[in-house]
Amino acid sequence: MAEIRLNNLTKRWGDFVGVDDQSLHIKDEEFLVLLGPSGCGKTTTMRMIAGLEDPTAGEIWIGDRMVNDDLPKDRDVAMVFQNYGLYPHMTIFDNIAYPLKVRGTPKADIEPRVKKAAEQVELTEFLHRKPKALSGGQRQRVALARAIVRTPKVFLMDEPLSNLDAKLRVTMRAELKHLSRELQITTVYVTHDQIEAMTLADRVAVMKNGVIQQLGTPDDIYNDPANMFVAGFIGSPAMNLINGSVQSGMFVTTGGTKLVGIGAPDRETAILGVRADDMSVHDAGQGDIDVSIYAFENTGESTLLTVQWGKQRVIARGDRHLRKEQGETVGIKLDPDHLYLFDPDSGDRIRLGGK
Amino acid sequence: MTEQSTVPTTGANSEFWTGKRKQRLWRAVQTVLILIAAFIMLIPIIWIFLAAFKSHVEVYQLRLFFTPTFENFGTVFEEPYDLGAKLFNSTIVAFVTVVFAIPIATMAAYSFSRFRLKFETTILVVILATQFVPAVVIILPFFIMFRDLGLLDTRIGLIMVNLAIVMPFAIWMIKGFIDGIPMDTEEAAMVDGSSRLQVIRNIVLPMAAPGLVTASIFCFILAWNEFLFALFLTNREATTLPIGLALFRGEEGDLWNLLSAAGIIIMLPMFVLALAIRKYFVQGMTMGAVR
Repeated sequence: MAEIRLNNLTKRWGDFVGVDDQSLHIKDEEFLVLLGPSGCGKTTTMRMIAGLEDPTAGEIWIGDRMVNDDLPKDRDVAMVFQNYGLYPHMTIFDNIAYPLKVRGTPKADIEPRVKKAAEQVELTEFLHRKPKALSGGQRQRVALARAIVRTPKVFLMDEPLSNLDAKLRVTMRAELKHLSRELQITTVYVTHDQIEAMTLADRVAVMKNGVIQQLGTPDDIYNDPANMFVAGFIGSPAMNLINGSVQSGMFVTTGGTKLVGIGAPDRETAILGVRADDMSVHDAGQGDIDVSIYAFENTGESTLLTVQWGKQRVIARGDRHLRKEQGETVGIKLDPDHLYLFDPDSGDRIRLGGK
Repeated sequence: MTEQSTVPTTGANSEFWTGKRKQRLWRAVQTVLILIAAFIMLIPIIWIFLAAFKSHVEVYQLRLFFTPTFENFGTVFEEPYDLGAKLFNSTIVAFVTVVFAIPIATMAAYSFSRFRLKFETTILVVILATQFVPAVVIILPFFIMFRDLGLLDTRIGLIMVNLAIVMPFAIWMIKGFIDGIPMDTEEAAMVDGSSRLQVIRNIVLPMAAPGLVTASIFCFILAWNEFLFALFLTNREATTLPIGLALFRGEEGDLWNLLSAAGIIIMLPMFVLALAIRKYFVQGMTMGAVR
C-alpha cells in the first residue's frame, strides 16, 4: 500500500507528445481513474507507472521510493490488461499462481492463496481449465485474480472492462467496485468510459492531448467542469453546447433569441452549456423558448427530445411518460442554477455570478 | 428424389443450370482437376516406390503388377554402397544442425521481434539475402577455406555449412511465431515479477513451441536434403545420403532399382516429419491469450 507521485512526467516519441509535463499525487488507498478519449495519454501514464514505458522526463514515486530506474518486476505493482494478457499454455490455477511462483513464494503458501483469490472472483470451479475454455468475462476474472493474489502496493487497470459485452460490463463494474472497497489498495484505472469513471472513482483525472484537464471527485467533474472539453466529455447524452452571446445579462442565441438571464458581463461570443437533465419540457409558450421536435426517443426510463434550436440541435430529457410527435412545438425551460458558460476560443469556463 | 434424369432440352438449358446445380457441378469439376494435378505430381514418387520393389530387369517395364522383392533394401546397405554409414552421417549432421540452429535463431528472432534495433529491417533483409547467392558461386572459396582449416570431409564442417544455410529461414520463421505472441502476455509476466529471461523461458518458449517444432523440422529437412556442399566438401568419411544416391550411377548404367530403394529411405523421415508439422500447425497455441 502506497501513494503514487508523478512529478513533471513527460513522454515524447520524436515530435509526438504523449504525456506533457504532468504532475499527479495519488493518495494511499485511493481509486483514481484516468479518463479521456483514445490517444490522450492515459494509458501511457499508466504504463510509465508500471515500468513498461520509460518516461522522457520527470519522476515516478511509489511510496517513498523513486522507481524510474526499477524494472516492472521490482515495482511491486499488479496490472490488469485490456486484453487480459493471460498465459494460454497454463491452467487457470497456474495463471493465478504465476506471480507467486516467480517471486519465490513457498510452495505451501501458493495453493491457499490462489484458492482464496479464485474464490473472491468466483472462479473456483474453473481452476483446472485453460484460458481458451473460458468466456470473456471469466478470462477477465482470471486476470483480476492474478492481480489480487499478491498484495501489491498498487493496482493498475488498463480498460479492463472494454472487451466485455454491455451487460457483463455492468456486473463486472459492480464486482470491481466491491473488490476495491474490500482490498483498499491504491488503484489507477484507465478508461474512456465516463460511466466507469463516475461509478468507480474516488477521484477522476480527465485527460486530453497528454494534459490533465481536471482532477476531482466524480461530483466535481460532473457538476463543476473546469472547461468545455470536460463538460462535453462527461455525461450521457453529452452536455448541450449552444452558441450565442451575452447581452445585458441575457444569453442570446446566434439566431437572436433572448434565452435566459445569466449573471455574466456582456461578451460577443459565448457558449452556453446545459445538460439534458437540466432542461424541462413544457407546452409551447410555457418555457424559455419554443422549439420544434426533430426526433423523439423513448429509452424506457426517460424520454429524449432532440429539438431544433435555430441552426443547432439540442437534446433535452423528458419525463418517461411524456409522449410527443416529431415536428410538434414544445417549450423548453432551462434550470438557471445549472448553466455553464464557456469561452468559445479557449474553451475555458466563464464563472457565473460568484460560482 | 423423383426428379427425372432426362437430358434437358436446349430450351430448358438456362433453367436447368442455375443456382445450386451449377455450384455442385463446379465443385465436381474442381475435385477432378485437383485429383488430376495431384496424380501428375505424384507420378515420379509412385514410379520410384514401385521401382524400389522391382528387380534390375523389371525396372524398365512399366508394369503395375509384379512380384515385389525386398532385395534392393538389403543391397544398398552392403558394400560398395554402404548406405548405413551415410544414413548415420546424414542423421548426425541434420540433428546437430537443428540443435544449434534453433536456440540461436530463437534468440535472434526474439530480439528482432521485441526490441527496436538500429537498422533492424536492413539486417533482417541482409540475413535473408545470404540465401540469394547461388551456392555454386561460393562453393570454391568454401572448398579452399575448409581445406586450409582441415574441415574437408568432416561432419563438423558440414554442420557449419548447414547452419549457415538454415539460420536465415529459422530466424524468419521463428520471428513470425514470436510476433504472433501478444505483447500483453509478456508485459503481464513482467509486471507479475519475471525478469526478461524468465519471460522468455516461462512464457515465450512454451507459447512459441509449435513454431519452434515447425522450424526445427523445416531445418532438419533442409540439412537432410542438402546436396551441393556435401558433394564438394566430402568424399569418403562424411558423405551424406543424397551423395550416396550418386553412387548408383555405375558403369553398367543407372541402377534404378537401388536408386529407388535409397530414395525411399531418404524420403521416409520426411514423410513422418511432414505429418508431424501438420499436427502442430493445426494446434492454435495462442488461442485464449487475448479476448
